[in-house]
Amino acid sequence: MAVQKSKINLTNVSKAFATKDKTVQVLKGISLDVCENEFLVILGPGQCGKTVLLNIIADLESMTSGEIQFASGKPKMGQLGVVFQRYALFPWKSVMGNVEMNPKLKGVDKRTRRELAQKYIDLVGLAGYENALPQQLSGGMKQRVGIARAYASESDILLMDEPFGALDAQTRYQMQAEILNIWERKKRTVLFVTNNIEEAIFLGDRIILLGGTPTSVKKEYVPDLPRPRSYTDAGFYALRSEIAANTDLAL
Amino acid sequence: MNIVKLGKKKIMFLHIVGLVVFFGAWELAVRTGLLPHQVLAAPSEVLNTFILKLTETKPDGDTIINHFFISFRLALSGFVVAVGVGIPLGLFMGYYKALDMYMTPIFEIVRPIPPIAWIPIVILILGIGMGAKVFIIFVAAFVPCVINSYLGIKLTNQTLINVSKTFGASDWQIFRTVCIPSSLPMVFAGVRTSLGASWGTLVAAEMLASTGGLGYMIQMGRTLIRPDIIIVGMLTIGFTGALMAKGLSLMEDKIAPWRSKQ
Amino acid sequence: MKQSTKNRLYLLLPILSVLTLLAVFTLLSSQEGTLIPTPIEIWKRFWDMMTIQISKATLPVHVWVSLKRVLTAFVAAILLGVSLGVFLGWSPTFNALVSPVFEILRPIPPIAWIPLVILWFGIGEMSKIFIVFIGSFVPIVINTHSGMNSIDPLLINAGLVLGANRSQLLVDVALPATVPAILAGIKTALSGGWMCVLAAEMIVAKQGVGFLIVRGQEMGDMSQIVVCMLVIGIVNVLMSTCLTKLEGVLCPWQFKKAK
Repeated sequence: MAVQKSKINLTNVSKAFATKDKTVQVLKGISLDVCENEFLVILGPGQCGKTVLLNIIADLESMTSGEIQFASGKPKMGQLGVVFQRYALFPWKSVMGNVEMNPKLKGVDKRTRRELAQKYIDLVGLAGYENALPQQLSGGMKQRVGIARAYASESDILLMDEPFGALDAQTRYQMQAEILNIWERKKRTVLFVTNNIEEAIFLGDRIILLGGTPTSVKKEYVPDLPRPRSYTDAGFYALRSEIAANTDLAL
Repeated sequence: MNIVKLGKKKIMFLHIVGLVVFFGAWELAVRTGLLPHQVLAAPSEVLNTFILKLTETKPDGDTIINHFFISFRLALSGFVVAVGVGIPLGLFMGYYKALDMYMTPIFEIVRPIPPIAWIPIVILILGIGMGAKVFIIFVAAFVPCVINSYLGIKLTNQTLINVSKTFGASDWQIFRTVCIPSSLPMVFAGVRTSLGASWGTLVAAEMLASTGGLGYMIQMGRTLIRPDIIIVGMLTIGFTGALMAKGLSLMEDKIAPWRSKQ
Repeated sequence: MKQSTKNRLYLLLPILSVLTLLAVFTLLSSQEGTLIPTPIEIWKRFWDMMTIQISKATLPVHVWVSLKRVLTAFVAAILLGVSLGVFLGWSPTFNALVSPVFEILRPIPPIAWIPLVILWFGIGEMSKIFIVFIGSFVPIVINTHSGMNSIDPLLINAGLVLGANRSQLLVDVALPATVPAILAGIKTALSGGWMCVLAAEMIVAKQGVGFLIVRGQEMGDMSQIVVCMLVIGIVNVLMSTCLTKLEGVLCPWQFKKAK
């Protein structure tokens, strides 16, 4: 494989929370590289701190120690695209209102930002729903708005925090195919967090498995499977078993 | 929700600063004549008058302690009767449709009429004795109790009811063991509102037709142009109200600690 | 019994209860030497009051006078109350400074302010307006403050990653998210304000519904009192209905159903 440029580099990132009587170490010594335009999946059991890690990268939380380097310089707020598990759409804004939020906050004029937003609304397949309110949309549609909104920040990097976790199974499979579709058409560096092994294998160029207490990087997997991948493929199943054997159970 | 978080010590410090600034400015404003003395008493005077009124019956006819007990007794009587009648009524109305359909129209006519508006008619029929005042407080406290108990039953989680049915529980058993406990947080919310309503209405009733009590005391303060007495009365009324609410909160924690989010 | 029969019987009950009420009323009022007016007397009195003047004004005029006082105070209460509530919720420093004073003043029932306010402003319009202001201001502040504190932190995070600075976060995220709570506060404040204007008018006024009711009491005129009580109740209901409609317009995202 050709040597790929590192887009984000994490070195020894650790995070501890201070509670009333003790300090809880959530993340310990996380080191990883996110390569340019790759679809990197971070896989870990529930409650292991994956969201915390993502929040640290997005600068929503601070890390206790460690270093994060961005190839294009540390992004300011508003320069990263983030997709949240619970959509986080502004309920009083329409689809268009939500998607154009980032350029609007940056002060881009109405016509330009509307065109930009429309581009991404079309990209995620929601053309015609520009004036709908979030609660009139289904879960899958809401998340597509979330994705369009993240794309509209025109950032090279997209962070996705278990974006399909709140969807029913059918919609989830659909969205997995959708997100790859969207990504193929508009390549970005994607950091995708999930707790679902199949989803990780289906989507990822590389999979980084987290585990242990405190959470650290356990292993890295590179699915050597051509796209589009199939859940029922033998190679898929073999990799799935391998990862499952290595995964902690969260009870 | 905020990005900034203040330490406990800093918060306490700011609390004190806020209070000092407020009372200090008030005291200074009256002392220097910035605010007219006839209509406002300085905090120091208020404190003085309060201590004095603990034992002195002049000029309004009674010590503050007696006024307090007159008011407190009245409010409590009306409140207790209202709660005793209102909660069961609301609970039953919530569960048994027949009662609901029958009582609701009467209720919907009575509910929008503010309790204070009852005072004139009650006085005409029952005079200005204790009975009249207790009745008015009853009307004020009754309505929130019924409404909240009713809602509490209506909002019972259907899943819990269904589970009970699969256990073979009868209607009455479901009412007693599922709906009523589940409605307790809302019942307490209703009681809390009732308490506030009782206390507020009592003050109004005393101001309009009474010869004793805290409401009467502040009216007298106005007649005698004694703002210090008025303010002492107001703060006593406020403090008592807050204290009763706190007491209710503590009771709620003991009886129904699984309080729903307000 | 079939469910449909049961349902039909259920519908009879409200009619039955209103009839019972009227019957009880008529019974009480037809007793010898009673003060209680018959329903017919009340009905007649209502129409009288609509055209005949009491204290230089007809009933509608009195109602309007009361409403005007409420609305004037209300506008001030909303402007100041929402601002205060927003500040209390947004700035922990401001909250720490101002809350203790607010917590001391808050439990004092607005009616208890009447003697002091009369001492300050005399028996003119300002007294009544000020009492209504106090009665409306407090619930608005409390609800707004509470609304600000209950904003979903996820929305704040979303605002942050989308690049909102502090003032944008307040105006574009926090405020819209708090509007439902503000409206709830306004609803409470309106019926609270209506109660306050009544109390103030009952104690010191020459016009207004509160005045009318006390006048009726002084004259021993039960019909007048009952008419006033009913009118007060009806106005209350109308105001609530208007506000609920307004809520539907301002916060459509709370009510529109998913497709």
